[in-house]
Amino acid sequence: MLVTWRYHHRPKSFVQSLDPRAWLIFFGCFLVATVMTWDLRLLLPLLGVALFFIFSSRLTWRETRRAWLFITGFVVFFSGLTLLTGRGGMEHYTVEHVLAAARAPFSLFGWTPTLTVSAERLMFAASMLVRVFSLASMTILIPYCINPAQYGVAFRGLGLPDKFAYAMDLTMRFIPTFGRDFQLTMDAQRARGYELEKLEGGLFAQVRKLAPLLVPVTIHAIAGSEDIIDAMDLRAFGVQPRTWLLQLVYQRRDQILIALGVMMMVAYTALSLIGFGRLWVPEALQAFPVLGG
Amino acid sequence: MTTPVPASVPLVNVAGLSFRYRDRDTLAIQDISFEVPAGEVLLVAGASGCGKTTLIRCLNGLIPRSYKGELQGRIELLGQDTASMPLARISQMVGTVLQDPERQILGTRVLYEVAFGLENLSLPRDEIRERAEQALAYLNIMDLRDRETFHLSGGEKQKVALAGVLAMRPRILILDEPLASLDPASAYETLDFVRQLADEGMTVIMIEHRVEDVLRIRPDRVLFMSEGRLRYLGVPEGMAGAIDTREVKLPASQIIARARTEPPEPTVVPLLQPEDPPSAPIVRFEHASFGYEPSLPVLHDISLDIHRGDIVAVLGPNGAGKTTLIKHAIGLLKPTEGRVLVDGRDTRQLSVAQVAATLGYVFQSPSHMLFAPTVHDELAFGPRNLHHDPAQIEKEVIHALDVVNLRGMENDPPLALSFGQQKRVSIAAVLAMRSRVLVMDEPTAGQDYRNVLDFMDAIVQMPGFEAILFITHDVDLAVIYANRVLLVSGGWLAADGAPRAVLGDAERLRRCRIVPTSLLELNLQRPTSAGRFLRAEELARAA
Repeated sequence: MLVTWRYHHRPKSFVQSLDPRAWLIFFGCFLVATVMTWDLRLLLPLLGVALFFIFSSRLTWRETRRAWLFITGFVVFFSGLTLLTGRGGMEHYTVEHVLAAARAPFSLFGWTPTLTVSAERLMFAASMLVRVFSLASMTILIPYCINPAQYGVAFRGLGLPDKFAYAMDLTMRFIPTFGRDFQLTMDAQRARGYELEKLEGGLFAQVRKLAPLLVPVTIHAIAGSEDIIDAMDLRAFGVQPRTWLLQLVYQRRDQILIALGVMMMVAYTALSLIGFGRLWVPEALQAFPVLGG
Repeated sequence: MTTPVPASVPLVNVAGLSFRYRDRDTLAIQDISFEVPAGEVLLVAGASGCGKTTLIRCLNGLIPRSYKGELQGRIELLGQDTASMPLARISQMVGTVLQDPERQILGTRVLYEVAFGLENLSLPRDEIRERAEQALAYLNIMDLRDRETFHLSGGEKQKVALAGVLAMRPRILILDEPLASLDPASAYETLDFVRQLADEGMTVIMIEHRVEDVLRIRPDRVLFMSEGRLRYLGVPEGMAGAIDTREVKLPASQIIARARTEPPEPTVVPLLQPEDPPSAPIVRFEHASFGYEPSLPVLHDISLDIHRGDIVAVLGPNGAGKTTLIKHAIGLLKPTEGRVLVDGRDTRQLSVAQVAATLGYVFQSPSHMLFAPTVHDELAFGPRNLHHDPAQIEKEVIHALDVVNLRGMENDPPLALSFGQQKRVSIAAVLAMRSRVLVMDEPTAGQDYRNVLDFMDAIVQMPGFEAILFITHDVDLAVIYANRVLLVSGGWLAADGAPRAVLGDAERLRRCRIVPTSLLELNLQRPTSAGRFLRAEELARAA
């Protein structure tokens, strides 16, 4: 199996035509705007923005299927848990209006288990679902849509020092190598009868049983890093500020995107500061009976 | 590429050089002195651990700047003492291509990789682009300019690494085992470039175990090292009489000449011999084809049998599909068409663990598999996975340790052993599983000639295996040890048969990028009734 970075060049894809700096700045603004609000009415436009970028990126279901299934499973599970238990939402509401309640037909030591769905829990779960899904969708786009050769120069352009910025390039360069080494070790141990899928025992026992994979991969990475450091030293890395051959130039669309991102962040921050970012519960739902009332 | 300088001016002047690493008690190199003029190719040879790499690190400035220790003596490059020079300045005088281009290549794309050193020198963008493209054009790899470096072949990576160094326009070029991972044809292409560079005035210092291959480009002198000391410095023709011919791989004619003056060594006879008639095959490929993607087939319609007594060498150029073929035999990959049978059972119905009881696979680098705290635990790992009885496992571990001659080292950590010992532990791990067929991928890559012969002599005399299968780029390994050769090219089985039948077809070898060695040619000159091929020492006696 070949292990490669996820980026694929897609002609005429809007996201890939952007300067990676503009995209990263917009992503940062989107992140701030999203975490500023729990109001579903304000979150839905952000979801729209995320959907716009996903559909304009030309990602195919086949190449992103695993990521989407993981995110969907994660979001649905935790949103469902929130809806049924009210976990995490208590700080956003003090009163709950009961939409439905189901009491167990038995009691344990005088306590009867009851499942309550309130308007507040429902809206909180819906807001969380939209929030996490929007953020995850935008995050998925990063590895698929930013050219791995542009990470270093993009972060340098965002003000990071040469050494940190080039570390990003090195990471992109050696992820496939690391993946291939991992696959080699996996093959070597499977040829000795090791079956990863048959790991048994508790968490610590399972981690311990991963040693046949983790130890060789780690040792190999450490040994290989000596060569990498030598190769960098031998070509004068870090002795003075470096020129980056690749030069990124903002286009008009990049400037517009950054401006929109900043406006979005400022607007959502301002709305949050004047009290519009709180959890929204439609008035119609507040007509239901109050829990414990 | 380089500014010509008078051949009489020594570009490298080393005087009384000694070095001891900070964490070692003994000197890695001692009292080394030599000069190298412009345009000379100096071949540095010697067994593993003789100090070659330390010498190179002193020349390119990594010692003492990155590797600390006690340095004595003087190094002058282009007439200037390097003691107080920053590494950035030395790197513009000396370019170094490391042994493993995979780790040396730092850029994700070829152009950025070649430009890396120039970017670090803060040159203007236009100049960087111009010099990088000149280096690519010089090496005839302009077509690789925008390719991702990870997807390049071994030979292409070697050239890209070289281009990255040449772009900095050094006067001196150091190559550390540049042929280690290349197939013969790619190795010869690399060597031709080296000769061309030297002819244009560059000084080249090349470390290489494959001395026979390097002699083809007429190095001006050879520097032979042993135990940290300089043992021979002179023309290549004088080397055979001055050194132990088992430490480096020399042309067969030189080994024969030397062997005639020495007492004969005991003949190594493989325990395994082909059966006549052969019994039921242990492994059978029936029209097996495979591709990671349907549109990109890697193997095409492979049909072959592995029988008891076979010692099979799998030869072919880089990317031919040799490893993919072997992975089908051990069940790591399943064919997309046709089938592969192990002991008569389709590998699609077998887990890799079930196949491991029949075929044991030793990877090229032992560091990809060793993990346990002791040699004993390492050897018991496989049998435990195969659910052998605990008492049986103890017997299997002891038997394996005896066979590979590692008794007494049961409690040593495998990762602290020497490379040769680690190799033996990896073989013992297969032996302990009671695998009947030993499968090895490049068993001798990167080892010196003495270790290669000792290792393979031990393998073919090891009891417990019914057949041996190994992938190699070293044609002489096939000549000396195999009783059958598979030639793989472009995913097809180009030939399968006795060594004389397969390796005697010069045109087919050329098509498969296999370059005949002097040992093969001398063997082919012997009468066809002579049976198996002989190693050079045996040829000396046979003549």
